[in-house]
Amino acid sequence: MAPTADSVASPPTPAAENDLQPFFVLHKAAPPRKPTGKTRRRIDLSPKKADAKEKDNVQVLDDNFRFESFNLRWCKIDCTIRNVLREINARVFEEIDRWVRESFDAIRACGVPNLARATRPHPIFNGAATSASRQLFTAILLTKNVEFVDDVLTFADLGVHLRSCGCHVAQLTSLDFSAKNGVGGCLKTLLRQFLTVGIDAPDISILASWYTEQGNYESPLVVIIDDVQRCCGSVLADLIIMLREWVIKIPIILIVGVATLDALRNTLPSNALQCLSPCGFTLGTPTERMDAVVEAVLLKHYHGFSIGKQVTTFLRNFFLRHDGTLTSFIRALKIAMVQHLLVEPVSFALEGLINEEDTKSFGGENTLLREAMIKRCLDLPSYQRPSRSNRNGDIWDCGLSELKRFRKLWVCVAMCLFEVGKNHKITLLDLYCEMLEPEKLNSRTSRHFELEKDDHSLFGGLQKGDFVHQIIQIVRDLPAMELCKLLKSWEILTRGITEINEKVKELQSLTTFDENRPRRDLTETSKRHTAKSNINVKRDGTTMKEKVATFVDCTIRQYMRPIESIPFNEIVFFDNVDKLRTALIGDPRRRIQADLLESHKFLKCSCCSKNGSMPSPSMHDTSILYTLTQEHGDLINLHDWFQSFKSIISHPGLKAKQRLRMSPSPKKRKGSKEPRNRSDASIQAEFCRAVTELQITGLIRMPSKRRPDYLQRVAFGL
Amino acid sequence: MDSCISSSEAAPSFFITKLGREMSREESPHVNRRTTRSSSSTTPNSKTAVEVSKIISNTQSLTVNDLVLSDESLTLEELINSFPHRRVQILELIKLLGPLNSPMIPLFVYGGASTGKTSTVLEIFKHLKRPFIYSSCITCYNTRILFESILNQLLLHRKHENNGYSSAKRCEKPSDFVNLLHDALSTFIDRLEGDLGKSNSKKSALQVNGKMIYLIIDNLEHIREWDKSSNMLPFLFNLYNILKMPEVGLIFISKTSLDTYHSDTGCIESFPVYFPDYTEDDLRQIFMKNQSNPKLYSSFLDVVLRPFCRITRRVDDVTTAISPLYKKYCEPLDDTGITPNEDTKRKLFKHINPYISQSLKETFHVPSQPTLKASASKDKTRRKGITKPGFWESLDEMDFHMSTCAKYLLISAFLASRNPATLDASLFDSTGGSGNRKRKRKSSEKSMEKKESKEQELLMKGPGTFPLERLLAIFQCISSVAEYSPNDEVPQIDGLGTDGWDSGLMADVLLQLSSLCSANFITKGGSCPLEGGIRYRSAVSEDMALKVARSLKFPLSKYLYSR
Repeated sequence: MAPTADSVASPPTPAAENDLQPFFVLHKAAPPRKPTGKTRRRIDLSPKKADAKEKDNVQVLDDNFRFESFNLRWCKIDCTIRNVLREINARVFEEIDRWVRESFDAIRACGVPNLARATRPHPIFNGAATSASRQLFTAILLTKNVEFVDDVLTFADLGVHLRSCGCHVAQLTSLDFSAKNGVGGCLKTLLRQFLTVGIDAPDISILASWYTEQGNYESPLVVIIDDVQRCCGSVLADLIIMLREWVIKIPIILIVGVATLDALRNTLPSNALQCLSPCGFTLGTPTERMDAVVEAVLLKHYHGFSIGKQVTTFLRNFFLRHDGTLTSFIRALKIAMVQHLLVEPVSFALEGLINEEDTKSFGGENTLLREAMIKRCLDLPSYQRPSRSNRNGDIWDCGLSELKRFRKLWVCVAMCLFEVGKNHKITLLDLYCEMLEPEKLNSRTSRHFELEKDDHSLFGGLQKGDFVHQIIQIVRDLPAMELCKLLKSWEILTRGITEINEKVKELQSLTTFDENRPRRDLTETSKRHTAKSNINVKRDGTTMKEKVATFVDCTIRQYMRPIESIPFNEIVFFDNVDKLRTALIGDPRRRIQADLLESHKFLKCSCCSKNGSMPSPSMHDTSILYTLTQEHGDLINLHDWFQSFKSIISHPGLKAKQRLRMSPSPKKRKGSKEPRNRSDASIQAEFCRAVTELQITGLIRMPSKRRPDYLQRVAFGL
Repeated sequence: MDSCISSSEAAPSFFITKLGREMSREESPHVNRRTTRSSSSTTPNSKTAVEVSKIISNTQSLTVNDLVLSDESLTLEELINSFPHRRVQILELIKLLGPLNSPMIPLFVYGGASTGKTSTVLEIFKHLKRPFIYSSCITCYNTRILFESILNQLLLHRKHENNGYSSAKRCEKPSDFVNLLHDALSTFIDRLEGDLGKSNSKKSALQVNGKMIYLIIDNLEHIREWDKSSNMLPFLFNLYNILKMPEVGLIFISKTSLDTYHSDTGCIESFPVYFPDYTEDDLRQIFMKNQSNPKLYSSFLDVVLRPFCRITRRVDDVTTAISPLYKKYCEPLDDTGITPNEDTKRKLFKHINPYISQSLKETFHVPSQPTLKASASKDKTRRKGITKPGFWESLDEMDFHMSTCAKYLLISAFLASRNPATLDASLFDSTGGSGNRKRKRKSSEKSMEKKESKEQELLMKGPGTFPLERLLAIFQCISSVAEYSPNDEVPQIDGLGTDGWDSGLMADVLLQLSSLCSANFITKGGSCPLEGGIRYRSAVSEDMALKVARSLKFPLSKYLYSR
């Protein structure tokens, strides 16, 4: 079971084979959740004297199922995410495309040199000193993110988009701008991409002659440099100045991706900056993208997988505080899915949940399997809680459809709430976290709501974390027009869910009525502002808003029940933070230290296990040395260290002797007799090797020139 | 001034004649010997050259005419008129180039950036219709490409698909170059002479004047950057002596004066021609060229040119700076074709004045796409921004995403770079906030003068370096302080997930650090990662650090030494 899970987790997504793709930490898979006592008995019963063989068969079948269903589901999620990101970028891409056209026209307006002149190396001067003839058109694509991983795909997409619009595109990465290879390196890549021919001595004049040849002449050359701040500034500056010399002869248009303008200013010297005629574009911010992805993956499209409050909070914090990349969020989702499939016994049997039409055909035609599945499902704790007597397929179907219905309602309410929060800087992820904790939500809502009714000055008491309350407050403060818009969008969102939709429509009819009246009032009385009508309008507005706010509150209370309370929730629900955390972060340093100190736990040899963590000569050298470092402070005297190492290894030293006396095991003594006849040299060699290993693992640092006999411990604490 | 020029004019002509005579006397045996030797060695080469030329003829072959700028003829008067305030230099250069077929000593044209050196020289050749070869040391970024570029032009070789975009000759060493160049030059000159002979009969082919060939090497100062062995410059300066061909003229163009090229290898025999910087009047004359509405533009220049000239007199700089301003200037006008009277001038001045000071401060202005601007969600900030052109800089909040952990790391790196290491203990002791009090007492102990000088010193030294341990220690201090302070935004975010996750803030700090390094916020020194001797340095400006701190509500100024 374990290897399946690992192999699932390890291959990076085919999307980005770039080296920026973060790595995966491999872990031992968690054992599947042990069925409860009752379950075990039933499983034992069901296959009628289950042989071990048969069990194995089921295991293999299960594994296959898991793998398949994981692949299937992840494919879908991946696809959704890509589509969402593409949609986000589409607008910016269009803008860039338009700008590229404009710039190309501007360059062409400076005159089209004939073939002979275009390939001559001297610059072309035309009388008018327009900026187009002296500067490179540059689109500055602000990624607004320190991390670059998320944007790798974006820039690849941009390249594809521009190519489809008929530009020649070359995509350079920061790796091409290394100080070692200089301008030659990036020119080489540039020429290889444009000409699709390898060139021995890359020279920009080659590009000029290529461009004048054949039918290349009609379209602009676009060079995309995706992460400027990682580039070697001087090399990039050289390239820019070089391209500037050829600016009319080769209509090159640059598109550079950079986190901020400051970063660009820091990277490039001013003489290179002067060669650029810039235009700024902004990509979607990570938070925007995050919201879109969360909306698509967790709300809009249902993939038969949802995460609980703890996991969501963990992911959110990880995103905000530690990693800040969408990539790692997606990876975490993936890992969560793997874990979920592994841990939950029936989690993988829910093809039926995904294609919403036919619940009954799940598990395929294999009725035997279906039987087994249902049985397993019936063992789920969530089902057992409300003790139900009759057990057959109907319950299963009922339960499933109920689960689905619940989910639909929940998503609907969530989307409605987000619709409000969208324009008020409330991120979906925050909202999602809070919505998953409905007990707290409901209890507080009622209390808070009543208080609010009494006194509006309690605004200040509004907590920062209470996004739902904020939203209700926002609804209450919305101007009439906005409210009308909001209701309209709610109406669209709730289509298909009659319960909520009807209420929304009711509200809408009220507002439209209201809407029409005040508008007429306003038009009529705009010149003579009668105080009365104003008050009237206001009052109507406030009652209306109050109604909408009550509606929101009620729907939350009614439909936002915790998913844990629904039977069969385990099939789709995952909320095991610890599993996810260890899988995601791994904490390799701590692991190394812990393992070094407790090597006997892994080796399981008879000699070491008895005396716990005390060093013994049969232990691994590195382990001995690291155990010894624990006695030292910040600095370790090399000589002392070596002596104690030697004493342990060569003969049971003072400590070991004492230990020996305390634990007179014959094996121990045998073991300690053997290494006595070791030479000093071999001990030293062992010592050196062990120290080097410690150094490589990053636990100690070699002696400095100042204090040649002292080593420094680098990592502390577990 | 005049006398000076006339004397300098007199000297070279005398020099040239003398030199020419000397050469023609000495040259003949030399040349013969060399050609015989090289002809034997290049017989296989000539074969390939024939093949190559065949391939070229398939597409479009180059002729000698392509080495001349001969699109349209240019009279001397036009030439001088097209370069305001360059009359002296143009005449001097023409004089130095001499009449047809007269040998010349190498010329060294120098002057500040954007003073019209290259364009003037090229236009003179256009006027004279003499063949020349141009190589810029920016485009030719190493010796091989420089050599091959010169040879390709000389051999009338064009890179194209059929020859795999390769050069005519492969040449990397200066010695090879001299041989190849010599051959190429002699065949070229032969061809020129042949053409001249032919053109006597058929006048249509005559586009080339004389049988001299000129080598122009531009941006000479760039050679110092790419040529690490520094053999190249002495070699180029001596090229004339090495070649010993009177039919070759060498012209070097450089931004720096001849003094900066002095090397120990011997004297540099080239005649300097200086292009002085433009004055404000010259600039005005240049900008007034080709204007559709000269009156309006001149009133615009009245306003704009003086403040900019105080900063820079480079034509390209000023052009890029004032061209958007002119658009702004014309904004209130319905018809840009009008001649402005005093009243409108005054109105326009009032309109443009705030923008001038703004753009004087700005070095690199990035306009954003107008359509994007309108549809962006942050309309409020944008609207504010429109009144101030450089709004991106003035935006107070952080305009990009960074994880909280990375922010703290950035601040701690900034602190570690700014504060002396000895102060760490007093700033970040375990009590956290109370460090502030201690610091104050300490600073008050010192006399003001001493403090000031130290401050100055710190400022001059720039950000200091620090080891990883110090960074991590400070990081731990400030992140823990921030977590326990009551009126903070961060702990409230934690409120959602305080369950043991806080302690995990250390988990991937090193990963964050490396990503900060790759984003150039922190620079890394040292080479071997195992040695542990890596020292870091924060590369962020104080503004940036303050912005980051503000976004965390972290009291950065409290922790800054000498603030």
